[in-house]
Amino acid sequence: MQRAAYTTDSLVKRWLRHRLKCRAPLQVSMRPYSVFPPVDSEEKKMLDRMMRVDHAGEYGANRIYAGQMAVLGRSRSAPLIQEMWEQEKKHLKKFDEILAVNRIRPTALLPLWNVAGFLLGASTALLGKEGAMACTVAVEESISEHYNSQIRTLMEQDPDKYVELLKVIKEFRDDEMEHHDTGLEHEAESLPGYWLLKNAIQLGCKFAIYTSQRI
Amino acid sequence: MAALLLRALRTGRTLRGLGSAVAAPATSTPRCSSLTQGFHSTALRLQDESKSDKSSSSSSSSTSYHEHYQAHPADQDTTAASHGASADDPSTADASRANTSYQDQSGEQSEEYETEEQLQARILTAALEFVPLHGWTVDAIAAGAETLELSSASTGMFNNGAGDLVLHFIAQCNSQLTEILAEQNNQVQLGQAEQKKTADFLRDAVETRLRMNIPYIDTWPQAMSILLLPYNIPDSLKHLSTMVDDIWYYAGDRSTDMNWYTKRAALTGIYNTTELVMLQDSSPDFQDTWNFLDNRIQDMANMATSAKQVQSTGEAVVQGFMGAAVTLKNLTGLNQRR
Repeated sequence: MQRAAYTTDSLVKRWLRHRLKCRAPLQVSMRPYSVFPPVDSEEKKMLDRMMRVDHAGEYGANRIYAGQMAVLGRSRSAPLIQEMWEQEKKHLKKFDEILAVNRIRPTALLPLWNVAGFLLGASTALLGKEGAMACTVAVEESISEHYNSQIRTLMEQDPDKYVELLKVIKEFRDDEMEHHDTGLEHEAESLPGYWLLKNAIQLGCKFAIYTSQRI
Repeated sequence: MAALLLRALRTGRTLRGLGSAVAAPATSTPRCSSLTQGFHSTALRLQDESKSDKSSSSSSSSTSYHEHYQAHPADQDTTAASHGASADDPSTADASRANTSYQDQSGEQSEEYETEEQLQARILTAALEFVPLHGWTVDAIAAGAETLELSSASTGMFNNGAGDLVLHFIAQCNSQLTEILAEQNNQVQLGQAEQKKTADFLRDAVETRLRMNIPYIDTWPQAMSILLLPYNIPDSLKHLSTMVDDIWYYAGDRSTDMNWYTKRAALTGIYNTTELVMLQDSSPDFQDTWNFLDNRIQDMANMATSAKQVQSTGEAVVQGFMGAAVTLKNLTGLNQRR
């Protein structure tokens, strides 16, 4: 045992293995400041599903903004959309990191969300700036609701154990709420057929969340 | 009964002589198992439960422990030695239990009571010796049980018979492989070894794993057909996918997009085909198999580079078209609006 990090890692792993009476090699991240706490396999499955769907959500949001920029990239609302896109990119990067470190499988439907997101963004942007904002409002509302339910689940389980993860999800949820409010400020509701579009998009989001958790 | 008592007292005395503070009467009486549960891990809880089961049969011996240990200060926090001590006592007191682990390994003070899974694992490991003789069958398991001084009727524990044996072997090999890869990873992180290139790493990992099959290579076709039985397919696929995931993880793959799937699919294909080639290989030290493996990994690397090339060519072509379209728009004056 020559280096402190290696010693601590292996000692803690041995202690954990002893506590959990686990014969299989532990597959959790022992990096300091890791967002995941060390958990056993049932909880790991639940956390895996949560992170998988969050990753898919941010990926989809990314593609939606890309679609919107492709159409409205030279209009007056471009800087606004670009700024929201940059924040989504940051979220996606964070989830990429979490998935990589914790060896979580990404959803197999990513190519589908790639295309669907881009098409959604582009087609709503074709309805003009209000269309793009309406799409933003609908999607961000869905995502915020989803993050809220995840926060509730984690709080019900054990707020102290998941404190790091809760911090990340809360921060992202606040960002998404901000996007939602921005969309409303920029006359999303003045779009004709707003109610129909919003509900259709939210239905699609629910479907996406349901499938990404499982596939 | 008296002889057992004397033997138990003698063991208790020698263990006390080891000088560790012993937790008092608490460990012997079933009532206190609820107290200890708050402090101890699951295996110890199992141990308490089994002790409470046997307390009725050895109640007289436990009261003698009670008097025996009362001389010592009650100290609930020191658990290890005390439970090691008390673990030995019930097992020596209860000769009907076919648990030879403590008597054989008395030098090794294990504090856990053996679970059924651990017992099954031990039997299956012992059974592997007999596979070249009996094949992957229940007979091998029976022979293995007999070397452990258990009755050959303990094969009744294994609902899946030969399938259990094969799956156990695979799980064992996979965890050995993971340990080797983790050790190599540690070496690299400590700076004591160079990080291998991906292709070399994959080749070495697959070769290491397939070499573990060599002692059983004659009966391996039988094992593979057992794994293909519908009942065993979910488990064998799970082992295969976990192994491939482990290999890629230690090779440094941290992808979070479709590459995750394509890489693992490719490696699964390579592993399976190489395994099949190995069955037919009669060259010295399976040299043909390793050559085949080299070539397949080379193919995979080539495919990856050509995929990248296609993508960048595609991007360049798209750029070309966009440029042409803009030029056309300029020429025809359609760009005038701004």
